[in-house]
Amino acid sequence: MAIINATITMSSDVTGYNTSINKLMTMTKAGTLAGLDQATGLVRKTLTSTNEVDLLVVGAGVVADVSATKAAKLYIKNVNSDSSQYFTVGLGKASAGAAKQAFAVADDVNRSVEIGRLYSGDWLLIPWVAASDEHDVFVKPSVSTSMVIEYMVFFE
Amino acid sequence: MATTTASLTITSSDLVGDALSLSTTKELHKAGTTTGLDQTTGMAHVYLTATTKLDIFPVLPAAPAGQNKQSWVYICNKSLDETEFITVSIAATDIGLLYAGDFLWMPWSQIAQKADIEVTPSTGAAAAGINIEYTCIHEGITYPTSAD
Repeated sequence: MAIINATITMSSDVTGYNTSINKLMTMTKAGTLAGLDQATGLVRKTLTSTNEVDLLVVGAGVVADVSATKAAKLYIKNVNSDSSQYFTVGLGKASAGAAKQAFAVADDVNRSVEIGRLYSGDWLLIPWVAASDEHDVFVKPSVSTSMVIEYMVFFE
Repeated sequence: MATTTASLTITSSDLVGDALSLSTTKELHKAGTTTGLDQTTGMAHVYLTATTKLDIFPVLPAAPAGQNKQSWVYICNKSLDETEFITVSIAATDIGLLYAGDFLWMPWSQIAQKADIEVTPSTGAAAAGINIEYTCIHEGITYPTSAD
C-alpha cells in the first residue's frame, strides 16, 4: 500500500482578516484507509491547436481500470508563462466527436461541461469519477501557438 | 491589490520506485492578467444531514457578469469516517467523490445557467451528519435573482 500525500496551502489578504488554508490529504482507495497505488506518471504534452484534446477517456488507456466505484485524483497544470493564455478544462463524451454539444446548450447526452480555465502557472487537483463516457476529461488551448500542459492521475 | 497564493505539494516515498515529489505555487490572478483576485465568499462550514443534492454555488442567470472572469473553488470533506463521502458535481455532471479528509481545488467558469456547483452527501454521511467546508475566491460572482 502506497502513501501519497497532497498538501494544499493557501494564503490570502482579500479580506481584512487574512485567510489561510493548510490541508493534508492522504489519497485513499474508495471507502477505505488503503492508499492509492497506481499513477500515470507526470505527463507533459505540447499542444499546437485550439482543438479539444482528451486527457482521460473512461475505460481506455492507462486509466482503463478506473471505474465509478474506484477513487482517482487528477492534477493538471498550465506550465506556460503568458498570462493571457489558458486551457479550458471540461468533462464530456470523447466518443461523441462532432456531436459533442457546447458548454452552454441545453441538456443533451452529448453535452460537455466546462469546469474552469487554467491560466499560466495555474493548477488544479480534483477527484475524478469514471462513471460513464460523459466523464471523459478534455482540455482546450486558448491559442494555437505552442502551449504546454502537465497532468497526472493517481488511482486504484 | 490583494494577494492570494495557492501551493500544492504531492509526495510519496513508495508509490513508484523512486521518491515522488511535486511542488507548485501560483498567485491567483484575474483572467488574463497579473492582477490579484480581490473578492471571496468567505469560508463556509456546514453540517449536512440529508442526501439532497445542494447548490453550494448556485445556478447562474442567462448572462452572468462573472462569466469569463476567474474564480477558484475549494471544497473539503471534514468527515473522519473513511466510508463517508460527498459527490461534487458541476451542472449536474459529477466531477468526483471526496472521501473523509479529501479536498479539491479547481478553477470555476461561470457559464450561463450551466455552472452551478453541487454537493451530495452519501447515504452513510447523511445519516451520521457530515461537515464540509468550501470557499470561492474570485474577481466577480453572479448570484441569481428572484427572477432566475
